[in-house]
Amino acid sequence: MYQYDAVDQEFVADRAREFREQVARRLSGELSEDQFKTLRLMNGLYLQLHAYMLRIAIPYGSLNARQMRRLAHIGRTYDRGYGHFTTRQNLQFHWIKLRDAPDILDQLAEVDMHAIQTSGNCIRNVTSDPYAGATAEELDDPRVWSEAIRQWSSLHPEFSFLPRKFKIAITAAPNDRTAAKVHDIGLMIRRGRDGQLGFEVIVGGGLGRTPYVGPTIAEFLPANRLFSYLEAILRVYNRHGRRDNIYKARIKILVAALGAEEFARQVAEEWAKIGPEGDLPDTELARIRGAFATTVFEALPATSEVFETAKAADPALARFARNNLRPHKKPGYTIVEVSLKTIGDTPGDATSDQMDVIADLAERYGQDDIRVTHEQNLVLPHVRLDDVPEVFAQLQATGLASANVNLISDIIACPGLDYCALANARAIPVAQQIAQTFADPDRAEAIGELKIKISGCINACGHHHVGHIGILGVDKKGEEFYQLTLGGSGAEDAAVGKMLGPALPYDKVAAAIDTLVEVYLRERHEGERFLDTYRRTGVEPFKEAVYADAH
Amino acid sequence: MKALTANRLIDGDVVFWKAGKWVERFGDADLFDDPGAAEAAEGQAKSQPTVVIDPYLIDLMESDGLWAPLSYRERIRALGPTNHPSHGKQAEGGEVIEALLHADGAARSSGRVNLIKRK
Repeated sequence: MYQYDAVDQEFVADRAREFREQVARRLSGELSEDQFKTLRLMNGLYLQLHAYMLRIAIPYGSLNARQMRRLAHIGRTYDRGYGHFTTRQNLQFHWIKLRDAPDILDQLAEVDMHAIQTSGNCIRNVTSDPYAGATAEELDDPRVWSEAIRQWSSLHPEFSFLPRKFKIAITAAPNDRTAAKVHDIGLMIRRGRDGQLGFEVIVGGGLGRTPYVGPTIAEFLPANRLFSYLEAILRVYNRHGRRDNIYKARIKILVAALGAEEFARQVAEEWAKIGPEGDLPDTELARIRGAFATTVFEALPATSEVFETAKAADPALARFARNNLRPHKKPGYTIVEVSLKTIGDTPGDATSDQMDVIADLAERYGQDDIRVTHEQNLVLPHVRLDDVPEVFAQLQATGLASANVNLISDIIACPGLDYCALANARAIPVAQQIAQTFADPDRAEAIGELKIKISGCINACGHHHVGHIGILGVDKKGEEFYQLTLGGSGAEDAAVGKMLGPALPYDKVAAAIDTLVEVYLRERHEGERFLDTYRRTGVEPFKEAVYADAH
Repeated sequence: MKALTANRLIDGDVVFWKAGKWVERFGDADLFDDPGAAEAAEGQAKSQPTVVIDPYLIDLMESDGLWAPLSYRERIRALGPTNHPSHGKQAEGGEVIEALLHADGAARSSGRVNLIKRK
C-alpha cells in the first residue's frame, strides 16, 4: 500500500498539533462554539447525542495491520472498546471526549492516519473498489488514481470551500462495488479500442433529499487528462453551485438544472482553458503506482487440496466459502470478505478485540492488507486458499465468521437516532430485527442476493435509495415510522428505489420485509434475484401483499 | 413541566441543569413547572459557553408516577443507545431509568427543531 513520505508525515503531525491548540483555545473561551465548530469538523469531530463522534479517514478503504491495531487501541482507550465502519469506508468512534481528541489525532498521525476530509465542504475521502489489486476483473488498479486524487485534493485551496461536500468514487471493474453512479463524481476506468486507458466520467449522482443516478458527461476521457478535467468540473461547480440554499448546494442540483449536456459543454470550455498543464506528470503517477506494486504472490496451483478437504469435512466452512470468498486474480489465492453483520449485532461495528484479530490475520495470512467496503464489511484481499481454513477458524473464534455477504442479513444501517443528532428514527434495531427474522442460513441462501439499506433520516447515510429494499426512518408527530422503497441499486445497474406505500410503524417493519420476501419467492423465475423479479413484475404484487397484511 | 439540558463542552456528555450547575443524571435535574423560571435558567445556562454547548428546554410527561422527557430523542439522550443497554446512563438502572424506559409519549424534540434551524 502507499507509504507516507516525510512531507506527508509532517503535514499530518502538524495538523494534529494545530488542533491541540485550537481545542485549548476553545476550552479557555478564546474561541466561541460557532468559531470552533468549523475547525473541529475539519478534523472529523462532530457532536452527537451522547458524546463527540470522531470520523477517521481510511483512504479508499485501505489500511494495514499496524493501523488497524491502532484503531483497536483508540477504541479500547478512548471509546467503549469498539468502532463503527461506515458507508464511506471510514471508521467512526461514537463516545469521544473533546479533551482526548488531540491525543487521538497524535496517535493516528503516528501510523499515517488522520481525520481530514471526513467532514466539511471539501473533496471528501475518495472511495474505491475494496477488491482493488486483487480482482481479475479490473482494468487498472483504482487505488493508484484514488491516492493521486487524495494527494491532489487534500490541500488544494480552490477546493477547500466548495458550495457543499463533494464525494468521488473510482472503480476499474465492470461489477461496481463503489456505488459510483450515486456520487458527485463517479469514475469508471475503461479501455479504448486502441488499448489506451481512460475514464467514463459520471457527474451529479447522489442520494439524500434529492436522489439522482448521475449522467455520464464523458464516455472516454484519456487517463492522463484526468486531473485537468476534474479541475474543470470543480470550477464550474464552484462558480455556479447554489451557496444560498444548503438543500440545493450539491453538484447534482446544478447538473440537473443545467442539463447534463450544457454542464458538459461548460466543463469542456473550462477544460480547454486549463489545458494539459493541469494534469499529473507521468513521473508522479509512476511514483504512486510503484507504491502499490509491492505485493508479491507465490506461484500456486489453482486448487488447494488443504482447502478442498477442509471444505468437504465442514459444512460451515463450505457455506462461508460459497458466500464470503471471491475469485482472486492469482491462482491459489482468494479474496475473503469478513462480514460485520453478525445476526443480532450492530451493522458495521467491530470490537477492539475483533480489530486486533483482523490485524493479526492480515499480517499472518493476508500480505498486511485490509479493506473496508462501503457495505460496512471488511476484506482480506490476498489470502492463500491453503490458509482459508485457519483464517475461518480464527474468524469463528472472534465471532466474525457470518457467511452472509450480499444476503438479506448483510444490511447497511446508519447509526440513526441511537447516536446521530440529525436522525429522525432508529436504524440499527430495525436492521437487527430483520437480521433475526432471516437468521436461518439455509433460508437466507435460498433467498439469494438481497440488499437492504436503512437510513434514519433523509440525508441517506444508509443509502436507502439504492437498496433492493430501502428503509427510511421518518418522524410522524414524534413517533418512528419507516417508508419502504423497492428496486434501488447502487451497483452498475444503478437505480433509485420507488416508494412502496404509506410508512409503517417500527414494530411492523420486519414482518413487512418477510412478506416482501415471500412474494419474491412465489413470483421469481429461475435464476432471478429479488431485484430482477421486482423489475419484471413491478411493485403491485409486493404492495398488495404488504398492505393486505397491514389491514 | 420542563427540564433544561445541554451537552458538556469538554466531553460531550448529556447534562441537566440543577440549581445553577450541571448534573449527569436526568433523575437529579431541576424540574420547572413555572415557564418563567425555566426560561431564566436557560438564559443563565447560555452564559456558560465554556461549560456547555447549546442548552435548551425539553418537555416532560408523567411515566410510572415520575417525570420523563416527552420526545423519544430526548429519552434516548437521557438513557443511551438502544442497541447497547450497557452504554450510557441507562447502565446505572434505578427507578428513574425504569420510568424513562417505560415512557411511551411522542413528540418532536424542541431541541432538535432548534438544531435544524441553526444548521
